[in-house]
Amino acid sequence: MNAIDRRAFLAAATASALVTNLKYAAAQDAGKPAQAYRRFEDLYRNKWTWDRVSRGTHGTNCAGTCAFNVFIKNGVVWREEQQAMYDGHADSDTPDYGPRGCQKGLRHAKYMYGKQRILYPMKRVGKRGEGKWERVTWDQAAREIADKFLDVSAESGPQAISWGSGTQMSVKVASYSALARFANISGVTVPEFYSGVGDLPTGVYMTVGQVYLGDVMASVYKSKCVLVWMANPAVTRIPDAHFFWEAKYNGTDVIAISPEFTPTAMHSSMWVNPKPGTDTALAMSMVHTILEDKTYNAPYIKEQTDMPFLVRKDTGRFLLGTDMSIVGKLAVDENVFYIWDQKTNKVVQAPGTGMAEKPMNRERRKYESIALGNLDPALEGTWKVDTLDGEIEVTTVFEILKKHAAEHSPEKTQSITGVHPSVVKNVARKFAAAKPGMIYSGYASCKWLNGDMLQRAMMMLLALTGSTGQEGGGIQFANAPKAGGMLAFAFADVGPATRIVSATTWDYDHGKMKDLNEQVYGKELAERCDAKYKESVREAYFPKYHEKGWRMGFFMGNNGANWRASGKKWREDAFEKLEMIVALAPDMGVTPFYADYVLPIAHHYERADIMFQSRTPYIQILDSAVPPLGEAVDDWDAIYIISKAISARAKERNIKSFFDDVDGRSVHRDPQRYHDLYTMDGRIRSVRDVIQFIINTTPGVPKMSFAEMAKKGIVRVDDSDIAAWNGDNSPYHNDVFRCVRDKRPYETLTGRQQYYVDHPWFLEDGEQLPSHRAPMRIPGYPMQFMMGHARHGIHSMWRDDHLLLQLQRGEPDIYINPKDAAARGVEDGDLVRVFSPLGEFFVNAHLSNGIQPNMLFMYHGWDPMMFKNRQNFGAVITTAGLIKPTSVAGDYGHLGYRVLAFAPNQTYKDFTCDFELAERRNQSAKT
Amino acid sequence: MPRQVAMVIDLNKCIGCQACTAACKSLWSDEPGQEYMLWNNVETRPGKGYPRNWEQHGGGWKDSAHLREGKLHDPVDYGIASKLNHQAVYFDGTEQQLHKEEKMLWGPNWDEDSSSGEYPNNYHFYVPRLCNHCTKPSCMEACPVRAIYKREQDGVVLIDQDKCQGFRECNKACPYDKIYYNYVTKKSNKCIFCFPRVEQGVAPACARQCPGRLRFVGFLDDADGPIDKLVNKWKVALPLHPEYGTQPNVYYIPPILPPTYNEDGTISDKARIPMEYLEYLFGPAVHHALETVKAEMEHRKESGQSELMDLLIAKDWKSLFKIPDVKFS
Repeated sequence: MNAIDRRAFLAAATASALVTNLKYAAAQDAGKPAQAYRRFEDLYRNKWTWDRVSRGTHGTNCAGTCAFNVFIKNGVVWREEQQAMYDGHADSDTPDYGPRGCQKGLRHAKYMYGKQRILYPMKRVGKRGEGKWERVTWDQAAREIADKFLDVSAESGPQAISWGSGTQMSVKVASYSALARFANISGVTVPEFYSGVGDLPTGVYMTVGQVYLGDVMASVYKSKCVLVWMANPAVTRIPDAHFFWEAKYNGTDVIAISPEFTPTAMHSSMWVNPKPGTDTALAMSMVHTILEDKTYNAPYIKEQTDMPFLVRKDTGRFLLGTDMSIVGKLAVDENVFYIWDQKTNKVVQAPGTGMAEKPMNRERRKYESIALGNLDPALEGTWKVDTLDGEIEVTTVFEILKKHAAEHSPEKTQSITGVHPSVVKNVARKFAAAKPGMIYSGYASCKWLNGDMLQRAMMMLLALTGSTGQEGGGIQFANAPKAGGMLAFAFADVGPATRIVSATTWDYDHGKMKDLNEQVYGKELAERCDAKYKESVREAYFPKYHEKGWRMGFFMGNNGANWRASGKKWREDAFEKLEMIVALAPDMGVTPFYADYVLPIAHHYERADIMFQSRTPYIQILDSAVPPLGEAVDDWDAIYIISKAISARAKERNIKSFFDDVDGRSVHRDPQRYHDLYTMDGRIRSVRDVIQFIINTTPGVPKMSFAEMAKKGIVRVDDSDIAAWNGDNSPYHNDVFRCVRDKRPYETLTGRQQYYVDHPWFLEDGEQLPSHRAPMRIPGYPMQFMMGHARHGIHSMWRDDHLLLQLQRGEPDIYINPKDAAARGVEDGDLVRVFSPLGEFFVNAHLSNGIQPNMLFMYHGWDPMMFKNRQNFGAVITTAGLIKPTSVAGDYGHLGYRVLAFAPNQTYKDFTCDFELAERRNQSAKT
Repeated sequence: MPRQVAMVIDLNKCIGCQACTAACKSLWSDEPGQEYMLWNNVETRPGKGYPRNWEQHGGGWKDSAHLREGKLHDPVDYGIASKLNHQAVYFDGTEQQLHKEEKMLWGPNWDEDSSSGEYPNNYHFYVPRLCNHCTKPSCMEACPVRAIYKREQDGVVLIDQDKCQGFRECNKACPYDKIYYNYVTKKSNKCIFCFPRVEQGVAPACARQCPGRLRFVGFLDDADGPIDKLVNKWKVALPLHPEYGTQPNVYYIPPILPPTYNEDGTISDKARIPMEYLEYLFGPAVHHALETVKAEMEHRKESGQSELMDLLIAKDWKSLFKIPDVKFS
């Protein structure tokens, strides 16, 4: 096992002590200065030795996929070091990817042996959260869990069982496929956490009908101006951050935009510091500057966007085929849009529009074209057009945008953003001059109630400059693998029968979030959110969840009780109401701690899997360096054991098969067969077989055996010659590139990058174009609470590593501007109480001049167990019930519920709180 | 001729991630008695550093022949290292809150992102520190039992663990406070520049494992290597506190932070980091170094050319390291 040949072994820049001494002698022979041999030096030479090397990584949702060599000495993992062999790829005009890794990864060999590890199955004997356990066998645990599973499934249907996965396992593709397969077989509910954690870029989706926009990190080096906006890669993308500074050295303007002076701002060419929650105003001011300067790319926006499309001045709605002729009306030509052709001075149907089918019909769209041919659409002007309603005035989206942008001139937005007009213009001009320009954006915008409009404005900046669809340009979120291996595995022999729910709306229904909205934001807002959401469900834009709740919850590598936005409330109203909680995890944390059964899961170096993340052009494997500690098993095996117990108990109890209604389809489910289906009747024997299935069936993955891949550790994926995912044969989505490159319609209602949304709800809220909305403030609470991904953890993982804590303050801390602290008598290191109308938590005050006054900044992910009263920020975050009406809109081309593409985000930001001194703590540090 | 291995650290690329610290710790200082010690640390500057206020504890050379007096630190200055009460909270149910067994009142990077100056013209940056493997090591001079020596072949300064008797004179004499007392072996420990790796052509762990790609390693006298180019040719890499007189062999490319703002919110031409502070850290040569880096950045932007920028970009990661016998593929 793990036999890496001698050449590869040396190639990994490693060598044994024996080799060391021989080579050292040889060096002396070669005429170098003769050295006195000091025996003591062997103490250190002997320390740098090991027995075996294995390839691995940390299968967490940091999207790092860093290649590590794992060194095994005396049967345990001693340490790890980056493999760093990323050379030999084609894009030599960018810096390479070596050595990839961070301090968390480099702590893992120590952390995996830490006291937080769950070593054997445990059953709760005290009250939940009391920490009283009975050690049980896997058999006993599985049997008892299976019985409850069968009871709930029979009484309430399998939808009453939720099986969530989290960042410990969901990016381990084979493990996640195992869960997806079991969920597909059994009908348990899989909560969808893309929007559930407030990460879904719905504004990007509104614009291009896609959310998977993102290239490899080297693309940053190809940009000429990159706005790092709503992101902090120096902290959150440690293995990739170098590309930004290398780009800067290469002449790229790297412009960080953030209220606080982030470590990213530190190294940027320029730092722009708007007030929290005012970014859309800033973006629209930049749009205004580009329009005023006429530096926009007219041919691009005429072809690729809806900006030349005609809009009725009387209704504010697009001029449609149904407006123009009775034939169109009969044919329901609602997808026929028009432009004003300057060559013929006539209204002409826009190319690539007029498809009778839903715009999402991808196959159809592959063959349509948006090429303008001889047409020259007007961007500006007003015309009179004969319609079924008589003669009406029409104008273009561009014309409307110009007027709209004028309301956001830099001079007008200064009082909102605090950014001087000269700074706005400076940035806008740099961006417009750069070919191409990039916006590197994290998920922070998705966590604001109106963040969708910021994303729409960002996309607009990129469209005006012709940057989207260019290598080194466009918006950078994470791309995702095309549906391939994972779904193929989940559905094989069974067909698709998976039940996925939006965690945001489920939480809204079952976490009593309407009450929360009313308590915090008042009756009017609460009623409005609720009415629109209910209307959406009534109109069947979105599925309904409110009738049946969950009775049983599985949490697989998922610390769900930690991260829910209004966590305290969710724990009380949803989590603790579950009749049975089963946690499957390698490490303890608040979720397993409050569970009824805790099942031990293998850690990253104790298991095999495969990972691919779009940030690099490589596939990364995990191989088992050592057997799992204690009685831990990998996720495949855990489900194997549980499904086996379910089928065995179903047979013993003579539980019959049943028909299950999944989104209107009738699915036959037979608990007695779950286990056989899970293993494909014994053909899949272990996670290694799953991995091989994934390799064989995933597009863009070089075909080879897992054993061969494990020897290498990393493998370059297909079609990754340039720094953008624009090819058709890579594992990642390239739809937007295809639209630009091949002039294909976008998957939007208009078939274009759509900046004007004339859905009635958007018109009602004045959101047909992106506009600034004041951030939500709670009267009497002056501090805007801002959060971000942490430097010293991946979500809640590694947060309790003693060395990483040593390098911080040994406990959770919150960053505060010294002026705000002084006003409350707080000094650096004191314990403060942070409070909002929802609750309170206690945390170490970390004073920093990099924090804007009137805001607090805290890294997310700290486990509630590390706080007094076991309450973290989830005790004060008031926003979990804020469901934005436009994000549940539907019956409008691409708008309407679409799993992992269009669903309301759980809102995490957009609230205020306050703080006060709780305990003077740190006198001795002040010397 | 004795040779000297050296390191250049580009502070414009350091993101304070502590990967170097973690890499070093796992490899060399993970044994009982070593808990608190970080042969490599990263501290936020301005800040009190690790150990706390190390710059105020003396050491180094008073003049070319005499040592300047130094003093030992209180253990608290390093930050008390302890594990967490996982067992009591999670498995015994005897304690409520998960925390370090000993509360930290100070730590190796207590000032992480604390930032100086006033928002929005505040400033801070990260400074990784390790033993400087000085050309004129004051620790070696101070050792009463001559346990400290400097290797001929690479200039690495080592404490012979067989000879060391734990007098801690070296600890006082090092002006950078980079020598640590091992409470179990009762001997002094310090960074060994990963000499077993360097002997194999493998860069030190802190350098090879730095994801920021900001540490260059090579021999000072190698005209084809990156060290000579950055230190001697371009003169952009400078030792920390040259006035301590020990002639360090770890060099830093000084930081350039983004522009500041005037009162009215317009962009100012005043540098974010006060020059006096940079001069305090790197001496008067910092002016020339900063001007050179800025001029070459400008030159690159305009012309696409610059040897210095090519060096600092280091497209090929392996180009950071030039050690004889280096093996990568």
